[in-house]
Amino acid sequence: MSDTIRTPFGEFWRRFKRQRVALVAGGLIVLVILAAIAAPLIAPYAPAEPDYNSILEGPSAAHFLGTDAYGRDVLSRIIWGAQVSLTVGFLSVALGLLVGVALGLVSGFLGGWVDSILMRLMDVLLAFPGIVLAIGVVAVLGPGIDNVIYAIAVFSVPVFARLVRGSALALKQSLYVQAARTIGVRAPALMLRHILPGCLPAVIVYASLRLGTSILTAASLSFIGLGARPPSPEWGAMLADGRSYLGVADHLTLFPGIAIFLVVLAFNLLGDGLRDALDQKLRT
Amino acid sequence: MLSYLLRRLAGSLPVLLAVSIFVFGFVHALPGDPARLQAGPEASPAEIEAIRADMGLDGPIWSQYLRWAGHTVQGQLGVSTKTRQPVAQVIGERFWPTMWLTLVSMVWSTVLGVGLGVFSALRRGSAADQASMVVAISGVSFPSFWLGLLLIDLFSVQLGWLPTGGYGTWQHYVMPSFTLGIGVAAVMARFTRSAFVEVAREDFVRTARMKGLSRSVVAWKHTLRNALIPVITLTGLQFGFLLGGAIVVETVFSWPGLGRLLVDSVSFRDYPVIQAEIMLFSVEFLLINLGVDLLYAAANPEIRLS
Amino acid sequence: MFRRTALLALPLVAAFTLGQAAPVRAEGAITIALDANIVGLDPADLNDNLSMTATRTMIQGLYGFDKDMKMVPVLAESTDANAEATEFVVHLRHGVVFHDGAPFNAEAVKLSFDRARDPANHLKRASLYAPIKSVDVVDEFTVKITLNAPFGAFINNLAHQAFAISSPKAIATYGKDLGRHPVGTGPYKFVSWETDTLTVAKNEHYWKPGLPKIDKLVIHSTPENGSRMAMLQAGEAQYIYPAPPELVKVLEKSPNLDVVASRSIYARYVAMNTLRKPFDDKRVRLALNYAVDKAAYLKVVFNGYGVPLDSPLPTLLPGHVSQTPYPYDPAKAKALLAEAGYPNGFETVLWGGNSTITVRGLQFLQQQLAAVGVKVSVEPLESGVAAAKIWNVKTPEEATTMLHYTGWSASTGDADWGLRPLLYGKAYPPVLFNTAYYDSPKLDADIEAGLTTADAAKRLAAYADAQAVAWQDAPWIFLGSDDNLSAKAKNVSGIYVLPDGQMLTEEAAIH
Repeated sequence: MSDTIRTPFGEFWRRFKRQRVALVAGGLIVLVILAAIAAPLIAPYAPAEPDYNSILEGPSAAHFLGTDAYGRDVLSRIIWGAQVSLTVGFLSVALGLLVGVALGLVSGFLGGWVDSILMRLMDVLLAFPGIVLAIGVVAVLGPGIDNVIYAIAVFSVPVFARLVRGSALALKQSLYVQAARTIGVRAPALMLRHILPGCLPAVIVYASLRLGTSILTAASLSFIGLGARPPSPEWGAMLADGRSYLGVADHLTLFPGIAIFLVVLAFNLLGDGLRDALDQKLRT
Repeated sequence: MLSYLLRRLAGSLPVLLAVSIFVFGFVHALPGDPARLQAGPEASPAEIEAIRADMGLDGPIWSQYLRWAGHTVQGQLGVSTKTRQPVAQVIGERFWPTMWLTLVSMVWSTVLGVGLGVFSALRRGSAADQASMVVAISGVSFPSFWLGLLLIDLFSVQLGWLPTGGYGTWQHYVMPSFTLGIGVAAVMARFTRSAFVEVAREDFVRTARMKGLSRSVVAWKHTLRNALIPVITLTGLQFGFLLGGAIVVETVFSWPGLGRLLVDSVSFRDYPVIQAEIMLFSVEFLLINLGVDLLYAAANPEIRLS
Repeated sequence: MFRRTALLALPLVAAFTLGQAAPVRAEGAITIALDANIVGLDPADLNDNLSMTATRTMIQGLYGFDKDMKMVPVLAESTDANAEATEFVVHLRHGVVFHDGAPFNAEAVKLSFDRARDPANHLKRASLYAPIKSVDVVDEFTVKITLNAPFGAFINNLAHQAFAISSPKAIATYGKDLGRHPVGTGPYKFVSWETDTLTVAKNEHYWKPGLPKIDKLVIHSTPENGSRMAMLQAGEAQYIYPAPPELVKVLEKSPNLDVVASRSIYARYVAMNTLRKPFDDKRVRLALNYAVDKAAYLKVVFNGYGVPLDSPLPTLLPGHVSQTPYPYDPAKAKALLAEAGYPNGFETVLWGGNSTITVRGLQFLQQQLAAVGVKVSVEPLESGVAAAKIWNVKTPEEATTMLHYTGWSASTGDADWGLRPLLYGKAYPPVLFNTAYYDSPKLDADIEAGLTTADAAKRLAAYADAQAVAWQDAPWIFLGSDDNLSAKAKNVSGIYVLPDGQMLTEEAAIH
């Protein structure tokens, strides 16, 4: 990379490096991802291995984060659980984002009856508060982590769609899009090259929030008994199970709670940093 | 404007129709047998069949739909299969508790969120900006039921300041609306800040500043007004988030609202209540969306009311 | 309008006046927090313990239970049965009056029973009334009940809350809405029932002198365990049931609270579908019984509050006879599995409910069976799904049940209702709850013998044999009988949880 001419990515990276908080957050996420991948190597115990002689023990040298109601090692479950929780987050957001952004873009750009139909359709989906939709999907499909992913993805779709449509509507009126149109740039190119990038900051900000929200929603579903199936160490399920022991074994909620909190926080901070970095690039 | 409003309202009818089919399909796609559930574990097969007929669950599905839709249009919502109360009464009893909780949460979180967002945007890059954003972001990163349980433990059990749950006085609102609104406040703060910063860089704002208008005039008259557009969208979206979040919060705080009712009704397969409640949510939503679009138009006349 | 303003200003006000929120307690009032919602208040139209408990405060039957679930006469004074157990002549208590002033007499009993058993009324408990052929008024305080067939345990049915007697005046006035306007002869009168709260007040004209001792009783529905605990700790409730077993330690630490544990008549077990491979092989069923550590089960799931099951009937149910336990012996379990042709175990599916404590049991079983090579996939089912998958199966061939973790309490307090619904060859779903699809001619004969006589000794002998047969055939993994756990403020007395999970509140007092 030369000093004078930067690629868009180089520009972005130069900006992003300045976001110290976001860098730390990103680092944390990378660490968590690595830990999740290396779970079989680094977890001191198997995640589902019971030991009825040491149940509900607080943190100790043998079990750094204590044991749960079955004598299972909480640390090992959190490490294994990272796999599950991150998968839920990434897959559900990716699914919802792809579908939602495509719909929003088409809708906002084309307008007219396409817009009407698509947006009314989104209205139908939006008519159900997110978790209601998720509860519905899980109630019909049955509990289990796959269905939780679909459920969360479904309710992300209209959110992305409306957000992108909103930006697309505004961008369509902007000078440079009008200009591009007058010089004969065709619709698909216009959408992808000129309008989509304009929508990106909003999408990224929301996707980053969404990653956190997805992990939190999975936890809520576990709370009302519609989440991951036992013995899955999904963090929300650990937290929901542990709440029965609040006051007796607080470490059962404290550590999964902290894990969720930190990872969700990290995704949010990262998103913020990305946004600022992307934004500055777009300005030039 | 009025004709726009009327057209939009008319346009909502097909949506409601679609929703009604969707809801009806959903309810009937639920695995399980409401007649069996209502009859209870000790009922005979004949009793179950009688109850099924009683519930209008006999005959082909399309005729069941038409019957239900017909009754609904006439305002007959039927009877809860769980408690045998009229559905209108079941929902009526729980409507205001949820509405008030949602509104209270919405108001405080929007005020706080937008305020914090503008505050941060004006001091962009400063320590105060970063601190308030980290606080805001922390607020949205808590699993709400955990937060709720921790609050109960601290303020009700340890300190004895607030009731653990239930509905009645203003004290009952404090913890549930905090738990429910904290996430929204955080989202609003972040989003407002983003929108504000973005708009502040637009040409017309720069022009205004170059014309020598004071910083605060620019901030309030030009920037905020335009930054409001995405914020309004988000407000509409968050309202739904709140109604949904009420499910968890109502469970934690024993709040006698629609959220808990929905979960209970789904698990009991109380078809008439589920259907009526989701239809109600949908109508609320359409109205909110309509409101959002109108505000859009008011905030930025460039978006034509086509 | 004032309300609106007040509420919108709330966040601000809240910040300044937090200190004033201490709960107000009325004198002589007790609040009981329970774990589910009241479904209705018509005793003949209920099948959940909690709603029945709620109606017990107001509406009484001819017979009832004392706090040890011993059957006692309530509105009846005595009953004469004929030898064939087909005719029961009940002598009624004199001088009792319903809350609405209507006199309690034979006419009232007949009206209430006839209403409950009329199929046209579609009441949920009609099936319990099914043995009745007719109810006849003999004189003002004598009523004769004639049955279709001999039924030795019929008086126990009369003690079931479904046979509680509502005021004839209320039945006439409210018709189908009786469930919203309960009127009986009980210690408390109905005041109000809103979403989560039932309020009842002292019946000044109660027929038992000196009772009730409190002015007001509130039953509050608080399904979330933590919230219910918090209500008790914060003084908003004086009695909670159930108390979560895992939190007993917290309750014990508090100087103002007591934990009350009492034996129940719950039987917790895993039904194995005996019509399906591999559970058609008795060796496999025995192996699974040896594979599960019952003491650990009680410790992990119920914090040690309970006793292992040593018969299909729980210890407290009259007629229970102890059998030789299957000790925890994974080596023997593995050997039996190998003998049956499964040296490496097998895979199967375990169903159960989705409440916190049930899921805990499911997880525990999954772990125990894994240790002997049986890979179990756990499926906690919502009640709606369970209704379809388990209870609505038309024929045994259609059933996909493999392992079913469940529990039972015989709400009539009689051995017949503890065995017949679960193990009788004619009790397959959808008729009753024999999810093991167990069919033993010997046990069937015992159950029929017990049904057709009112002779207590003969009945006991029949049920003793039935228990031995079922224990040896092992259609279940026999687990345990968990205690009823409740917790209360120290200054509250006179509230009892019956072994079947219903409650008595007649003597409730606050000191």
